[in-house]
Amino acid sequence: MILDKVIYDKVTVFNLIMILAVFVAAIIISRMIAFYARRTLKGKVEQDTLEIVIKIITYGLVSVAVFYGLTVLGINLSGLMVAGGVVGVIIGFASQGIIGNLISGIFLIIERPIKIGDQVNIDNHTGYVEDIRIISTTIRTYDGLYVRIPNQNIFTSSIINYVNHIVRRFEYIVGIRYSDDADNAIKIIKAVIEKHPFALKTPKPQVFVDNFGDNSVNILVRVWSPISEWFSVKMELLLQIKKALEAEGIEIAFPQRVVWFGNRDDEANKETGC
Amino acid sequence: MFGTHDIPLSFETENIQLNIQKQNGCFIYQRKCNDEEEEKTLLAKSPTILINPVEPINKPKEITNYLLIDIDTSVIIEPRSTHKLFLTFPVAIGVFIKRARDYDVLDIFTLASQKYTLYGDQQRGVICRYWESKAYSSPPDVDLLHLGVVELSIKNTTERWVPVSKAVFNAYGMRIYYSSEQVSMKASMEILSENTAETEFSSSPLKKEMKKSLELYTVRKLSVLSSTFTMADGI
Repeated sequence: MILDKVIYDKVTVFNLIMILAVFVAAIIISRMIAFYARRTLKGKVEQDTLEIVIKIITYGLVSVAVFYGLTVLGINLSGLMVAGGVVGVIIGFASQGIIGNLISGIFLIIERPIKIGDQVNIDNHTGYVEDIRIISTTIRTYDGLYVRIPNQNIFTSSIINYVNHIVRRFEYIVGIRYSDDADNAIKIIKAVIEKHPFALKTPKPQVFVDNFGDNSVNILVRVWSPISEWFSVKMELLLQIKKALEAEGIEIAFPQRVVWFGNRDDEANKETGC
Repeated sequence: MFGTHDIPLSFETENIQLNIQKQNGCFIYQRKCNDEEEEKTLLAKSPTILINPVEPINKPKEITNYLLIDIDTSVIIEPRSTHKLFLTFPVAIGVFIKRARDYDVLDIFTLASQKYTLYGDQQRGVICRYWESKAYSSPPDVDLLHLGVVELSIKNTTERWVPVSKAVFNAYGMRIYYSSEQVSMKASMEILSENTAETEFSSSPLKKEMKKSLELYTVRKLSVLSSTFTMADGI
């Protein structure tokens, strides 16, 4: 029988087929588990946690298949480890980057400064975390680009996670004319903020005259919002503030220069001392 | 307005217009509440509609399951005692469509103003639907389509006088009851220290004749792990 044909030592064709079958089965089972876990646990378990669990199951099953294959092939794992001592040094030098990324990836999964779905800025790449793999992390930028960052880079660079806290503050500078009533403007802006559901009551919004600019009285507006609504609130409020101010006759100032003609009017000359 | 209805149906109040009419073999649902409008087409044979008050945490968008009632004048509770007070809460109106023995949400609207707040710190705190209420010694007379009444039983387990200025509730534990005159809930607050308390809703109506509302978390078949809320960031 062809199945009993010895290939080398005690390894037969049947053994090779079994190794292949176990390996394929491990991959199919891990894919099936991943598929059903994603389908049944989506929305019930955090996506990030779900992906980590799926990865552990996948790598676990593949490792079992690999160990089975090595055992059937008669490869002594302890001997491999001794040989690995010498080979390991060579491979280690050659694959420093990969090992660094691998260890960084493990630490990223443990420390969890970022999660799948978070909005982050890493290495000046801003966008959504698509996946955290064992070697690299992928980001989908706001303009839809795919960015793959090696985990070692992530681990050694500063990370800005925009959605780690549940609330976030944004601010505007609203410049009004010197001739406008700043008290009234502040009152109108506060009323607009109060009316918006997602401009949070606490932490309290701040509206105050921040400085006297060259062309305008600058009112600083600071508003806190739930992190999920932050950007839409920021977009909506500014327009609402502009409309409310204009409805009350308060205009947003623009750069202007007043020119006095000194030699035409004697009275003006006296007043200005020219 | 509250209760089970066959369609076609039509309701009109000062601020709410709700109609379900048959048109070309299907049903058209139209609702206007203040400036907000909603229109849906129902492809069904003879559906039954249920309208009742629901948890007021879904408008304009569901981002939390907590309700914070800010008491406008702080209430001071004597040591080792239990006292009752009445607060108002915003009413949200849920329109459900019956399918076999199950209900599905068709629409949610509210006449109450909508505002949200943060309870606790920015890292571990929770976003809450914000509502400001006076503290009443007896149930206040309010418009049932706009406001409900919650009877809050406050138990001070400490040896000190404790001021209470707010109450945070987990809306997943809400038990809302309604009649033709009132929407109500019963809740309790157990003061554990000067800054900590535990709140919970109880499943009994304010008046015997009141009907139990169908809450959203029941319809959505959410598995509620805990219906209590521990106020650890001030009361």
